[in-house]
Amino acid sequence: MTSTDFLSLLPFIVLSVLILALMGEISYRRDHALVAWTTLGGFLATLVSVLVASQASPHTQEPLLVVDGFGLFFIALLVLASLPVAALAKDYLEKRPGYREEFYMLLCTATLGGMILVSAIHFATVFIGLELLTLSLFGMIAYTRTSGRSIEAGIKYLVLAAISSSFLIFGLALIYFELGGMGFAEVLEAVKGGDHRETVLLAGLALTLVGAGFKLALVPFHMWTPDIYEGAPAPVTAYIATASKGAMTAVLLRLYLMGGKEMPTGLWIALALIAVASMFAGNLLALLQENIKRILAYSSISHLGYLLVAFLAGGTYAVEAVVYYLVAYMATSLGAFGVVSVLANKSGEIEELDDYRGLGWRHPFQGGVLTAMLLSLAGIPLTAGFVGKFYLVAAGVDGSTWWLLFFLVLNSAIGLYYYLRVVATLYDVNQKEESTFSPLALSGGVVLAILTLVVIGFGVLPGPFIAWIRDHLT
Amino acid sequence: MTLVLLVFIPLAGGLIAGWMGGKDSTACRWISLGALGLDALLALGLAFHYLGGSGNPGDSRWFIEWSQPWIPQFGISFHFAMDGLSLVMVLLTLFLGLIGVGASWTEIQERVGFFHFNFLWILSGVLGVFLAMDLFLFFFFWEVMLVPMYLLIRIWGHENRRYAAVKFFLFTQASGLLMLISIVALALLHPGNGQGVTFDYNVFLQNPLHGPAAKWIMLGFFVAFATKLPAFPFHPWLADAHTEAPTAGSIILAGILLKTGAYGMLRFILPLFPTAVHEFSTTAMILGVIGILYAAILAFAQDDMKRLVAYTSVSHMGFVLLGIFAGTDFALKGVVIQMICHGLSAGAQFMLVGALYERIHTRDMRKMGGLWDAIPGFGVATMFFAMASLGLPGLGNFVAEFMILVGSFQVAPKLTILATLGLIAATLYSLRLIRRAFHGPRQDEKAYPDLTLRERALNGAFALGLIWLGVYPQPAINAVTPTLKSIQSSAATPMAEHNAISGESQ
Amino acid sequence: MLNLLWTIPVFPFLGFLILLFFGERLPRKILALVGAGSVGVSAAVTSLVAYAFITNPPEGHAFHQVLWTWISVGDFHPQIAFYLDALALVMAGVVTGVGFLIHVYSIEYMGTDKDFARFFACMNLFVFAMLVLVLADNLLLLYIGWEGVGLCSYLLIGFWYREPANCTAAQKAFIVTRVGDTVMAIGFFLLVVQLGTLDVQGLMERAQSEWGPASGMATLAALLLLGGAVGKSGQLPLQTWLPDAMAGPTPVSALIHAATMVTAGVYLIARTHVLFELSSTAMMAVAVVGCLTLLLAGFSALVQTDIKRVLAYSTISQIGYMFLALGVGAWSAAMFHFMTHAFFKALLFLAAGGVIHALHDEQNMFKMGGLWKQLPVVFWTFLIGSAALAGIPLIDAGFYSKDAILWAAYSSEHGSFLLWLGAWIGAIMTSIYTFRMVFISFFGEAKNHVHHKPGLTILIPLIILAALSLVAGFIELPHNMGHIQMFSHFMGTAFESAGEHAQTMAEPGGEAMFQILAGVGSLAGVLIAWWFFLKNPASADSLASTPTGSRLHHFWKSGWGFDAFYDKVFVQPFRWISEVNKADIVDGFYSAIAGATQLTHSVLSLTQTGRVRWYAAWVTVGSVMILGALLFK
Repeated sequence: MTSTDFLSLLPFIVLSVLILALMGEISYRRDHALVAWTTLGGFLATLVSVLVASQASPHTQEPLLVVDGFGLFFIALLVLASLPVAALAKDYLEKRPGYREEFYMLLCTATLGGMILVSAIHFATVFIGLELLTLSLFGMIAYTRTSGRSIEAGIKYLVLAAISSSFLIFGLALIYFELGGMGFAEVLEAVKGGDHRETVLLAGLALTLVGAGFKLALVPFHMWTPDIYEGAPAPVTAYIATASKGAMTAVLLRLYLMGGKEMPTGLWIALALIAVASMFAGNLLALLQENIKRILAYSSISHLGYLLVAFLAGGTYAVEAVVYYLVAYMATSLGAFGVVSVLANKSGEIEELDDYRGLGWRHPFQGGVLTAMLLSLAGIPLTAGFVGKFYLVAAGVDGSTWWLLFFLVLNSAIGLYYYLRVVATLYDVNQKEESTFSPLALSGGVVLAILTLVVIGFGVLPGPFIAWIRDHLT
Repeated sequence: MTLVLLVFIPLAGGLIAGWMGGKDSTACRWISLGALGLDALLALGLAFHYLGGSGNPGDSRWFIEWSQPWIPQFGISFHFAMDGLSLVMVLLTLFLGLIGVGASWTEIQERVGFFHFNFLWILSGVLGVFLAMDLFLFFFFWEVMLVPMYLLIRIWGHENRRYAAVKFFLFTQASGLLMLISIVALALLHPGNGQGVTFDYNVFLQNPLHGPAAKWIMLGFFVAFATKLPAFPFHPWLADAHTEAPTAGSIILAGILLKTGAYGMLRFILPLFPTAVHEFSTTAMILGVIGILYAAILAFAQDDMKRLVAYTSVSHMGFVLLGIFAGTDFALKGVVIQMICHGLSAGAQFMLVGALYERIHTRDMRKMGGLWDAIPGFGVATMFFAMASLGLPGLGNFVAEFMILVGSFQVAPKLTILATLGLIAATLYSLRLIRRAFHGPRQDEKAYPDLTLRERALNGAFALGLIWLGVYPQPAINAVTPTLKSIQSSAATPMAEHNAISGESQ
Repeated sequence: MLNLLWTIPVFPFLGFLILLFFGERLPRKILALVGAGSVGVSAAVTSLVAYAFITNPPEGHAFHQVLWTWISVGDFHPQIAFYLDALALVMAGVVTGVGFLIHVYSIEYMGTDKDFARFFACMNLFVFAMLVLVLADNLLLLYIGWEGVGLCSYLLIGFWYREPANCTAAQKAFIVTRVGDTVMAIGFFLLVVQLGTLDVQGLMERAQSEWGPASGMATLAALLLLGGAVGKSGQLPLQTWLPDAMAGPTPVSALIHAATMVTAGVYLIARTHVLFELSSTAMMAVAVVGCLTLLLAGFSALVQTDIKRVLAYSTISQIGYMFLALGVGAWSAAMFHFMTHAFFKALLFLAAGGVIHALHDEQNMFKMGGLWKQLPVVFWTFLIGSAALAGIPLIDAGFYSKDAILWAAYSSEHGSFLLWLGAWIGAIMTSIYTFRMVFISFFGEAKNHVHHKPGLTILIPLIILAALSLVAGFIELPHNMGHIQMFSHFMGTAFESAGEHAQTMAEPGGEAMFQILAGVGSLAGVLIAWWFFLKNPASADSLASTPTGSRLHHFWKSGWGFDAFYDKVFVQPFRWISEVNKADIVDGFYSAIAGATQLTHSVLSLTQTGRVRWYAAWVTVGSVMILGALLFK
């Protein structure tokens, strides 16, 4: 192992050390606060190590991994998403009975899995990262063992993830059978040839897509989303919605950058159909939902549909648009689930929309944050979501994908309906006497405040970030 | 910088008012009034300076211009500019804003701070719309005003407010997103000034877009503006929104928000897509005429007084659409006058309905009758504004409609004759309102308080405005003449070329 | 002195403002002073101006006073400006003079009404608007007055708004005249677009120079203006509102619906006579409208029972005469009849009002009777008015003015025997229904009790108007009976550009015969009325009770079925459409979309069963679909 190897892999190493440290700590003495702070510290250290690693990038670990600007950006993004999850979990778990400390370890392994995913240049790596992520997630979803729904969600996730993984691995097998290798470059080279390729390769590709589609919760692999979002503890839901999806998007984006722009027509059509179906299904399912976590779950389905539009459009703005939208979406989702998380009380989470009636008057801060997040999801100005939507439209116009844009607009309108419904509920007159929400803890408050600043900051002054993306990622 | 202040003052005022509201609602009202008053003084100062004749910069297109890069990667900037048209609209906005605060003085008793916060933010958004000369910035403000308006209807509205608020938002937002596509398409397809992508209005203005793309892009703009206006068949949101909104909301909706649609057409559609407009104008004028008559018939059928007034707005905006796409000098000037006058007359009518509702707690005209007996002041005021609305000569609306109709008669006499029937239809619904609410026998013998001094003053302000525009509209016409002239010339030049080309080919 | 012109309309307007803002606080005496006084001052100023105008005529016999430029768009600059010529002066004189008398009358007549201030406010506003109408130098300003008087008419017909019937009548008046006004507005558009101005004098010059005689454009423009005129003046086919307008207080009927506003159409055509002369079609249309209207209204007047309705139909009929005169180019004859009609018809209304007042709001003639003894002054003035209306030869103004029209209808180049015949039959009818009214109301046995006798403020205006109805005719006598042409000479200054056709056409010899025919006709009418309604009332009843008779009676009484026809053709369908579409069918379309969306939501929600096997199945289905898309594209 050369020093460059070492330097470039430093983020992975730091995180692994963190996992080991946590193990040691827990086995020595259970101390929730200590574990949580160690985790937060470890994540910060990982972030620093990303900066160090960037000195050595780009560096390829043939044939599995590459540590380059792109990968490091997403590693940092994953860690930045995991940080608030850890902070939120600290408050959240505090209110729960049972052991709390292992959760952080699972969070770290999941993040490690995500980091592997975003650095992958080989389908084998993808599989390893994915499994690491998924298995950790299973533990996290089912973590609050006293809640039946949590267990149910965990098992559902396990079963369905296993099924989709089996599709994925079968697809990979087919690809390997055809090409004798699974490196991204090889596969892309083979696919680029176009539609005359062997059926087996295409079938393999299709089945691989199933795995990705499941992770991203695209139609028709979206079925699990609401149940799992609803059942999982709110911080975990936030994690699934952001880090987990972000990692998979990064994989697709890397494929796209490495030459996937010229995808076969059949694939394009399939993806377009998936995009449109996801937008519609997500929005229509969310329309009259009464459970806020389910609403956000369905909304995430449609948002990934929007994101696909930029992929499909191609053109100059595609990558920027995807990255910007993803970041905006991640910050917003973290914020939204974060509010649900900090509001949870000892008896559990508060999910029914009806219980949120008048939140904006009783808890102006939480209400305000949730409002900002919902408006961002709806793409209203002054929020990151607005610029994100603008970016998607720009990408779509640039690629002349008019029909997809039309559906995007149509769906944004449908989406508004339920976002507004929630916002309006927050400011309705409250019928109930006393608040059942738990008071705001410091860490949760800080996290939400930062996320709000990010969402609004990216909405008001997107220029610097756009410039950064252009300089570093495209 | 003045322009930035103009937009910023209500924004800041809203924040302060919202913050104060929890503690002292009266202070909050005064703060709102003060912020708007300050803004209005600023705007009046500009008006005296630039329209008074002394400071008119002559051949420069804008009175003042201010620009600061915002998202340089897309050539987006904080580009504000003001010309006569903007100035007139800004003045109208602030006038109605002040009236709106006054009209809600006693009506709004709950969550006063948040109400004024929303109200002032709407105004700020509208002011931004009238001053933004960067299309992205324009869209930004276009959307900014929606959420507070939504909340205004949703929280302080009447019985059916939820439905109305969502409907308002969905219509405007869906059409707005189409416009977003159009704006982006315009920016990306336009050759620009050779320095990359830009959203700058001036650049688009100097080199209008032609060809089939222009047609589609124009349609995107048109749908958004026509929905806001609203033109047939995009009008159904309006009746509900106006009916359910609190008084100040209705005043602002009818008085200004609808005008942003007309303003957008004047500012963007006409000069930026001359050939597309040329091809599309007949269709648009037909929509205008249908709107005039269709909405008038709808207004006639209503039992809810506020709904009736709401539909009259659609009818009057039909004239605006007709005038804009007739595109003649007469018609365009008439359109501006109509925008102002409708702002005043509809605003006043909504205020009266609101004040009436505060007293008798119904808007259903079937439950009224003979109210003149009890509250003659209301009777006189309602009569006055009903007459304004049906286009009684001597009041501003007549001047406006006359000019629009003469202007459109020049290009489309048959359509204009149909549109003129709208004058009869306006008589029908206006008289019906008077007849059912104020005439006839009393339904009950309760005594109600007549207009208070505050209400009389607000009504008086509206009435004076209408009389002034009715007998001496020239200052307003003069203010917008240069703008309209440049709109026409940029619209006419390529059209003439276009005609010349098609003429040669024949 | 002429510079005072602009103040003439200002006084009534000031009166209106005072009454509007302080009406509820001031005592009645002050209100009466303001209400009647403002018009009085205006009348005084008018006479000053008239004196100056007549003794020292301005150049071109017209005085032009610009206040400010109203609108300025391109080459179109309508001004707020007044134009005074003989025509305007006569109109203004009648409006302020007769208006003042009626205001004075109203002080007593409306004395006990609780809305005294509102009444005078509206009346003052009316006088203001009417003066703007007659003094306007351009059609756009005229339109302000035109619609303004319409508004006041509406407000005053519906003055007693608690009565639903009154409100309906008021609405009807406004809407029907508005239909005419809209036609007229289209005429304005045409004029502006074609000639670029609405300034009357400029318009007339340009019409002559740019269109010339027999131009289709001129015909079109003239006919469109005629549309406005028939609406305002209650001529066919828009006459239906005027009889119902009698729901207003009687002074209103006298001022607005007899003397002044309803003749605005006559004034409009006279004002734009140059345009009308360019088109013989338009002239013919005016004459035919007038002739038909005078006949139709005459028959309707014959069968009314309400005294004010008789007078209303008679007003329609008399304005028909004026239209006939206009149509045959007898401009000054039309204006002459306008003036005399203003006197005697105002008189008739006011006298009838005296009766109605005395009988506690009884308007049915058949419940009056024998009043000549109880109300002598009212009776005598009413009789004088009736004589003038019927055109009893030689002694009264009505004879001379009507005779001039009858003669012109035959002798003018636009005239014809048929027009004359119609007018002559109309004259006989006039005299029959007029004296039917006199005989039924004032003679025979008394059927009702006189509650209180009118006071001086009612009687003095009656006496003055009666005097005017008698003597006003003598300023214009046919050339075979004194040949005084004061009026037509004076009027001629306003109609200079147009030749006075009536006098120039036929040789004087025939005129005497027509005069005799006219005289005999009106006297015969009196005789017939006497026979049927006083001497032998049973015969009239038996005539009316035959099947044909009763059907005709009903038909005429309902105004020739116009109301029913309009109701079926316009009102009902409009109501039906508006009622059907009350909820806005377009909204239904959007609601359907929303409904469909919600339905889709429900359907899609069914897929969320929560069962893992079902979800897994979908993963499979999805992969099959993707495979399909990729492989069989």
